[in-house]
Amino acid sequence: MEYLAIYLGPTLIFVGWWFVLRKLVRIAHDQRITSVADLLSSRFGKSSRLAVLVTIIAVIGIAPYIALQLKAVTSSIQAIGGASSTGRGSFAGIDDVGLALGVAAAMALFTILFGTRNVDAKEQHHGVVAAIAFEAVVKLCALIAVGGFVIYAGGGFEAIFARAETQGLDIYSHEIFGNRWIAMNVLSVAAIICLPRQFQITVVENSDENHLRTASWAFPAYLMLMSLFTLPIALFGMTTMPAGSNPDMFVLTLPLAAGQQGLALLAFVGGFSSATSMIIVEAIALSIMVSNHIVMPIVLRTTTGLGETDGQGVSRLLLNSRRLSIGLILFLGFFYFYLTRDSDALAPIGLISFAGVAQFLPAIVAALFWREATVKGAITGVSIGFVIWAWSMFMPSFETSSPLVEQMMAQGPWGIDWLRPQALFGLSGLDPLVHSVFWSLFLNTTTLVLVSLITSQSALERLQATLFVDAFRRQGRSEPHFMRGSATSNDLFFVAQRVLGAERATILFAGLPRAGGDTSPEFIARLERELAGSIGAASAHVMLSKVVSGEAISLEEVMQMADETQQVIEYSQQLERTSAALRSTADQLEVANLQLREVDQQKDDFLSQVSHEVRTPMTAIRSFAEILLEGDKLDTMDRQRFVATIHEESLRLTDLLDEILDLSALESGKRDWVNRPVDAEIALDRAVRVCDALARQRGIAITVGPRAATAIVAGEPHRLSQVLINLISNAIKYNDAKHPEIGVQSRISGADYIIEVRDNGPGIAEADRAKVFHKFYRGGRSAGAREAGAGLGLPISREIIASMNGTLDLIEHEEAGALFAVTLPLVGAQATKAPSDP
Amino acid sequence: MMSERKLQSAALFLTLFGAMLFMPPLVLLFNLRQRLFGIPAEVIYLFLVWLGLVLATAWFSRRLPASGTETPPSGPES
Repeated sequence: MEYLAIYLGPTLIFVGWWFVLRKLVRIAHDQRITSVADLLSSRFGKSSRLAVLVTIIAVIGIAPYIALQLKAVTSSIQAIGGASSTGRGSFAGIDDVGLALGVAAAMALFTILFGTRNVDAKEQHHGVVAAIAFEAVVKLCALIAVGGFVIYAGGGFEAIFARAETQGLDIYSHEIFGNRWIAMNVLSVAAIICLPRQFQITVVENSDENHLRTASWAFPAYLMLMSLFTLPIALFGMTTMPAGSNPDMFVLTLPLAAGQQGLALLAFVGGFSSATSMIIVEAIALSIMVSNHIVMPIVLRTTTGLGETDGQGVSRLLLNSRRLSIGLILFLGFFYFYLTRDSDALAPIGLISFAGVAQFLPAIVAALFWREATVKGAITGVSIGFVIWAWSMFMPSFETSSPLVEQMMAQGPWGIDWLRPQALFGLSGLDPLVHSVFWSLFLNTTTLVLVSLITSQSALERLQATLFVDAFRRQGRSEPHFMRGSATSNDLFFVAQRVLGAERATILFAGLPRAGGDTSPEFIARLERELAGSIGAASAHVMLSKVVSGEAISLEEVMQMADETQQVIEYSQQLERTSAALRSTADQLEVANLQLREVDQQKDDFLSQVSHEVRTPMTAIRSFAEILLEGDKLDTMDRQRFVATIHEESLRLTDLLDEILDLSALESGKRDWVNRPVDAEIALDRAVRVCDALARQRGIAITVGPRAATAIVAGEPHRLSQVLINLISNAIKYNDAKHPEIGVQSRISGADYIIEVRDNGPGIAEADRAKVFHKFYRGGRSAGAREAGAGLGLPISREIIASMNGTLDLIEHEEAGALFAVTLPLVGAQATKAPSDP
Repeated sequence: MMSERKLQSAALFLTLFGAMLFMPPLVLLFNLRQRLFGIPAEVIYLFLVWLGLVLATAWFSRRLPASGTETPPSGPES
């Protein structure tokens, strides 16, 4: 059941691929990263010390893992060999140590032949990837086949679980979901990123970022299928196989016990190929780290001039060092296997390796997401984590083979109790795995953070930190370059040829003049990246610094460049913000401008209307005045008549001007009265009385409908009467029906007092409804010119009512004729006792 | 349809909640000493969550924006 945790961590990492894996892959592509050590060293200022440290830790930490695979291969060979009659003889004289040594040697040879044929810029090995994919499919098929067989033989899931329960096995995994479960999840998360093999396959060998998209769900699905049958196989094995059988070999031994030779062979091929591929890829990944980060820097430091040897020197040196390190790594694995051969279970050894490489996790996370992390923080953090891991987890695994270790475990070194490996600082009672993982990762992270906070970054570090943390922001901008282009292309070609080989170097230099001359800094930066792909970022940097005669640019200059980059980024962000603000201001201005233009247009209209209205009476006055001036032939009657007309017209003119003044005062919010509580009914009475004479003259009856008794509103009685008179006289003037009628009524509705004036005239056409309240509008058909006003009555009325907080509306209704309604809010006691008022 | 930013946040929360679902105390809810269809309940629970995560991730992987076209995260950062 615990094995599930090993698969759940990777599942979570792939589910969250968007946030970590994608960034890792992007950076690895941009920076030509070849391994975990390269990643960390490149991020922390191309530090070779960090690269060496990481490489050493990885080589030591992986030894248990290689040992585990050796053990698996050895056991499975024994299991399958021991079962066949011919095989028994062939392995009879060999014990498992000898067998393991043979396996290790064969693996080393195979890996050297297969994985170190050439030095590639990206360290991608497509053959290896294809082989692994094939191996994964074989393994899945084998496991599913054995699983299907077990389900069939065991009588289904239910029967297997039931039998296990009756035999006293704990199928409900009571104690599992505790600290250990969490620790294993954390470890598997760390392993999927930090394990050199995983990093190689997931990040370095990734040729297209979008492959992650598919892997994000396909890999968890694969893991799920893999683990689907593991539990039934284990339980079935435990219930049917003799006591003391190795549970890790059930996949092989169960089919064998049932006489299914073919199935056992398939399972053997699956398991064997899986273990082999793990060893091979692990060894390749580690050997790249060793040759790039340990061998190369040493060679670079000890030899002053590389130019003397032939052009293939560095390349050959790299390959040879890789071959050697593969041998070394497999030997270390075998050595560990030899020392711990008495321990039985496979998984705990694997977990030791996981915990070892997990020490890189804090540094990697900081590398990706924390700009301020420094190389000193990374080095101290990783070192402390490694020391604690080695002390509390790696060393105790030798307990069975070394009495010294055993004694230290029991009493602590030199009898110091609080240094006991599995009860550090007095923290006892925890599961050893949880204990070690907690202390190592906790102190690792704490140190990383604290040291990063108190130390400062070098210029190169700051630059690289920006490149890593802002990996996605740097789209299209060229990478900053650190070297002055004072080297001739000849020199550089020489270097490139030696590292990359003649062929690749020629391609790289294709566009450049060969006969000397300066090369651009961009080209040097590109060359450095290419070289970094082969020999690691730190080595490439040192190497080019030596060749380029200008040396690396001074610290101050790099610092300045880094600051400039930062400034440019900030400046462009500011610019973006400012231009957004400007845009919105411009929008607002445009709206305001539009309004202004509208108002301007209204003003123009108004002025032209006014001058038109004024011109008519003025023309009349002028012409009559001229006639009077010229003619003495006029008789007194005519003279009298003309003077009367002039008088009349000037009165009209005065009225018009008064109205205009009145309206403009009302519109600008000035009023020449104070609102006070008045009875609107009295104003209505007065208006009806005034209009009565006009109505009689026209033969129109004013019907006064139902009335409210009293209605106290805030207003001014004369102004209110003026409005009502205007409404009623309009109704009279424009009514040309055969039997003209005017209706006036009032009522109280809620907290409002409403007066309605209705006529049975032509009404107001649909299109004109909106315009009747416009200035100088007189409706389609005009009554006799004498009665016609200037067209300001309704606008003025509306303004007056508005300044009494009421409304004047033209109400739509179904009968003929127009219906105007004045609505005014009641005030005082009447407002509060209104029925619908709360 | 969710915006790109929301989609990314949703993917992050899927990961975080997925992790929580696999961890105690939530798994302990299903540690019932009972069997469903003959299989211990917590095993069924773990595999169902697992399957859910696979399906959800497959869904997200089709909808998250193509690489290289995303907009840089806004907001001051230093």
